[in-house]
Amino acid sequence: MGGFSLSSAPLEPERYREALEDPGAGGYASFEGWVRDLNEGRTVRRLEYEAYESLAVSEGERIVAEAVARFGVTRAACVHRVGSLGIGELAVWVGVSAAHRGEAFAACRYIIDEVKHRLPIWKKEHYSDGDSGWVNCERCAAAAHDHDHDHGHSQRASPSPASAAAGHDYSRQIALPEVGAAGQARLAAASVLVVGAGGLGVPVLQYLAAAGIGRIGIVDGDVVEESNLHRQPLYGWADVGRPKAAVAAERLRALNRDVRVEAFEVHASAGNVDELVAHHDLVVECTDNFRAKFLVNDAVVRALKPAVFASVHQYEGQVQAYRPLPHWPCLRCLWPEAPRDGLVGNCAQAGVLGPVPATLGALQAMQALKRLLGLDAGETPALVTVDLLTLETRRLAARRHPACDHEHPGEDVPPAEAPLEREFTTLAEALESGLELVDIREAWERAHDPPGLQIPAHLPLSELMSGRAEFPSDGRYLIICAHGVRSLSLTEHLRSLGQAEVYSLRGGLAALRS
Amino acid sequence: MIEIEVQYFAVLRERAGTGRETVQTAATTAAGLYAELAARHDFGLPQAMLRVAVNDEFADWSRLLAPGDRVVFIPPVAGG
Repeated sequence: MGGFSLSSAPLEPERYREALEDPGAGGYASFEGWVRDLNEGRTVRRLEYEAYESLAVSEGERIVAEAVARFGVTRAACVHRVGSLGIGELAVWVGVSAAHRGEAFAACRYIIDEVKHRLPIWKKEHYSDGDSGWVNCERCAAAAHDHDHDHGHSQRASPSPASAAAGHDYSRQIALPEVGAAGQARLAAASVLVVGAGGLGVPVLQYLAAAGIGRIGIVDGDVVEESNLHRQPLYGWADVGRPKAAVAAERLRALNRDVRVEAFEVHASAGNVDELVAHHDLVVECTDNFRAKFLVNDAVVRALKPAVFASVHQYEGQVQAYRPLPHWPCLRCLWPEAPRDGLVGNCAQAGVLGPVPATLGALQAMQALKRLLGLDAGETPALVTVDLLTLETRRLAARRHPACDHEHPGEDVPPAEAPLEREFTTLAEALESGLELVDIREAWERAHDPPGLQIPAHLPLSELMSGRAEFPSDGRYLIICAHGVRSLSLTEHLRSLGQAEVYSLRGGLAALRS
Repeated sequence: MIEIEVQYFAVLRERAGTGRETVQTAATTAAGLYAELAARHDFGLPQAMLRVAVNDEFADWSRLLAPGDRVVFIPPVAGG
């Protein structure tokens, strides 16, 4: 046996349990829901369960399949009673066998919670005073709640087939060819840690939860303050004084029941950051201080986890994605001197308009989704600056800092290289560049140079090739030949030897005007 | 003297009173240009704390400047 079924006869847990036995299972967890004699202060004599059977069974099977996939358990099953039940009778049974108890308990809990939320099963209570009434199942209550927020839409849209897998409607993102059902499944299987639930964190949390990330961890040790509300509209005045992580978790659960949300009411610290990072696939850093940013940076670099950093200042912000790739710069590569908090201002001191962190937070959420969906394959490392006053964005290509003493994966791979060629239109311009010009043509080629195109430094390529001469290893050079072919290959050769500051004159002397 | 297009971010913008300006400079390196502008605008931030980008790429402070280069000075930002 497995899956989901409805039964009008009394449930038989022993029989169902046997069907879950498996040599690979190390344990079994079950839940039984019983008919209670009291509901909201009234004495209940008996109950009637009525189901919209075909929908209840298909949705129930889906829930059990989700639990098996999500928690990796061996077998799972659920049976729900319909018809008339007396006090103490078994109304619903859930059983899960698994290799370890953790998954068994988690899957069991998941199934009963989802069954109560999602199945079209109604309950009629018969009270001791002879009265009776239909009790809203949680699904109906949730539907009514959604309706309240629909502002005039009389009918709740029925879920499309594409979205039914998880209960939340993702059809508009699944419609993107790059996302599709496979992409949605990747999001559902993913876990994201969001450090900081403030101006940046709020949009990050909202968009990631709405997109159907399977598990979201929220780290924030602060309480909601009145001064937060203008830029953190996930919170309202009634939340002032409550822990941000807890309030945010509550809102996200209400936003999307597919998402498992965990609230960590702590500040990220050296003592907890590694463990927090270890339990998630990706980290979005949304705090407002350098101490936390560098703490998170070092943790993701150690754990080889991707991360997205951002920060804002008044009307502008910066966003930077980190990927655990050999050539990819971390936060310390960009800022080798870890800045001290208080020196360059934070929101409290400098002031900020809400849409500024909202924009940067939305960019962070986008970067996170791109990483999880594999849409960032062609992206090269950069710090992106956004100025909300001028609406200018700037993408500043970044590279690993040679002095960054952090252990990046694959230390032996060289950092991204500067272009091999430089372009100049006159010899004078090339001379002004600050590069030392070296002519590598043969002596006979130089014999007919016009007076205005003579380059004093001469190191014929033939001499270099034969080993009779050596190219100087320090300094910055522009290598020149007749058409830029030999100079380019020599430049490539020198770069491969680790000489960074050598360039080839594109097009050679032929490209220069005298 | 060469002409350089300079852009400022965050606190540097506040101190300079502008997000960008075109400057004539005798400085040959990014470091030289920053020293000159830091004195003019009283930036008060040590060069070591900042990053410089030339023509949309992060660059070393020893980077030699060419006429028309676009230079951006970026302080670290922490607000969130």
